[in-house]
Amino acid sequence: MAQSPPASAGQDGHAGDDHHPEIDWIAAEDSPEFKQLLAKRRAFVLPATIFFFVWYFGFILLAGYAPDFMGTSLIGGFTLGYALALTQFVMTFVLGAMYLKRADRDFDPLSRRAAETALEAGRRKASESDGRGDGGSREVTA
Amino acid sequence: MGGVNYLPLAVFGVILIVTLGITYWASKRTATATDFWAAGRGISGPQNGLAIAGDYMSAASFLGIAGLIYLFGFDGFLYSVGFLVAWLTVLFLLAERMRNAGKFTIADVLSFRLNERPARMAAALGTLTVAAFYLIAQMVGAGVLIKALIGLSFPVSVVITGVFMLVYVIFGGMLATTWVQIVKAVLLMVGALAMSLFVLARVGFNPIQLFDQAAAAHPEGQGYLAPGLRFTNPIDVFSLGIALVLGTAGLPHILIRFFTVPDARAARRSVMWAVSLIGSFYIMTTFIGFGARAFLGVEGEKAAGKGGNLAAPNLAQFLGGGEGTTGGDIFLAVISAIAFATILAVVAGLVISASGAVAHDVWTNVIRRGRGNPEREEPTVGRIAAAGIGAVAIAIAIAGGESLNVSYMVGLAFAVAASANFPALVMALSWRNFTTTGAVLGVVLGTVSSVGLILIGPEGPLGKEGALSPLTQPAIISVPLGFLGCWLGSFFGRDQVAERNFDELFVRSQTGLGAEVAIEQPQRGRAAAAATTTQT
Repeated sequence: MAQSPPASAGQDGHAGDDHHPEIDWIAAEDSPEFKQLLAKRRAFVLPATIFFFVWYFGFILLAGYAPDFMGTSLIGGFTLGYALALTQFVMTFVLGAMYLKRADRDFDPLSRRAAETALEAGRRKASESDGRGDGGSREVTA
Repeated sequence: MGGVNYLPLAVFGVILIVTLGITYWASKRTATATDFWAAGRGISGPQNGLAIAGDYMSAASFLGIAGLIYLFGFDGFLYSVGFLVAWLTVLFLLAERMRNAGKFTIADVLSFRLNERPARMAAALGTLTVAAFYLIAQMVGAGVLIKALIGLSFPVSVVITGVFMLVYVIFGGMLATTWVQIVKAVLLMVGALAMSLFVLARVGFNPIQLFDQAAAAHPEGQGYLAPGLRFTNPIDVFSLGIALVLGTAGLPHILIRFFTVPDARAARRSVMWAVSLIGSFYIMTTFIGFGARAFLGVEGEKAAGKGGNLAAPNLAQFLGGGEGTTGGDIFLAVISAIAFATILAVVAGLVISASGAVAHDVWTNVIRRGRGNPEREEPTVGRIAAAGIGAVAIAIAIAGGESLNVSYMVGLAFAVAASANFPALVMALSWRNFTTTGAVLGVVLGTVSSVGLILIGPEGPLGKEGALSPLTQPAIISVPLGFLGCWLGSFFGRDQVAERNFDELFVRSQTGLGAEVAIEQPQRGRAAAAATTTQT
């Protein structure tokens, strides 16, 4: 196993090309698992991204256009600007942790299943087309 | 400071011996290209998180931001906020997908679905431009620092920094670079924590009192705790915000760190480790900057130098007991040595990313078109490329000399990263109709517009009077231009290869199917040289 040659020539014809024509990528893309993965990921990433952009650039715009407002004292020298800056820190931790939790719980199992579906579709196609049976040597870990 | 200061030199020496030991250990474990560029993909999530933090918290972050906070208060802290929030962009849009889609360089992601040679050349242009500005900035920073703290001359200081950076990269590759970054991150966190605790102890561990004392010691008083002391143009503030939040996701030396972990799960874990470290570090730099203001006051500004870069070391000396005391000397020496280690770790990461662009992209895949056995040959080509890049960086840093403004050049690097690398990467990973022409036009337009706008801006060589553009920060114009280039170029014609391969890149980046796998530990060494990645 350790002595096997590097990845064989792919579509563009030179060694070191890392394409995997033996996998049915279109089937993978059309699989319900993959579509569900995209939908789930988008359902979190899109609103989360919009939220952090609005919250961050809102803060930046206030810093640029309303320095006096940002300088309002909350407790002594601790100003509104610093309080809002701290919310940026909290936001980064919270959104990041939420993403991690969701990725472990939802995204990973779905992407594993989507990968299995694609590998299976590729294997089926290879055995249907002819008996060359090359699939075995090009096992891919998902 | 006349003469050579031996105490900091001795502490530097200890750090150098430790890092050389790491390099020796790593050199025995670096045989293949996957070892050399990606540390065999065997770095764990938490380790990579530390290394990312070590790569990211540059001299500009430690000395620069502490100095900016010392001088300008709130406006200095604006950088910290942007530098931290930026990790959400990395986590949501790129970290896992880079890991799944890429191999050694960011060009791998573009060339996977686009016409290989032009796509690689474009990506290499983006990588090298960012790395060049960042690298020269860090080298100049190192020279200024060592000169001030140890008393060696500027050129000697730059050469020493350059030589060690090259030793790590050439002999130890990514594995040595990673562990140097980990050691540095730990040292920096400990140093910053010690300084923060010393500062807080002087105000009875009441941060509010520190804020009040700092404001009282600044001529602007309460204005020190509000925005507006450094930035007067609100558009510049907004533009800087864009560069910081999108630029991190386009920094090649940060993105290649995701190729060193075994899978996407470890990639996203490493981001959260990095976020925790970097976040707490930026809180501590606020205490350090405010401490410097409260205790060193206006009188300390001259000693802190232009940009306030020496505020943190000077504060350390004060906290240790002041100039001439043993405690003061020791604390100063330790913090200076940590600052030096900080720079070494960052420049090593930059050199390895730049030599990846030269050796893996330009040499192996554009000139040699992947002939031969890249897994065996690339480390050698990479070492030669690193030596060349290092030599050029040393020469430019010495020629440019101390007059080069460090934060100006780092700002440039972020602007180019946000305008050239980020749009092309995001488009390649998510837009089916993206074409080779789009990638090339996007990267070129992003690079040229961001560099051009800075050159004709008020901080460029034309000066405030002759400036043709009122913006000191170009991102507000150059980032949209980068995306526009990607979009416009993609209309110049359909690219069937790009569309066909998009299915594969898209599924691969989202699921990890077909992604490069880690080299298994027992296989490490010469026998593993031929056992690449896809076949296990």
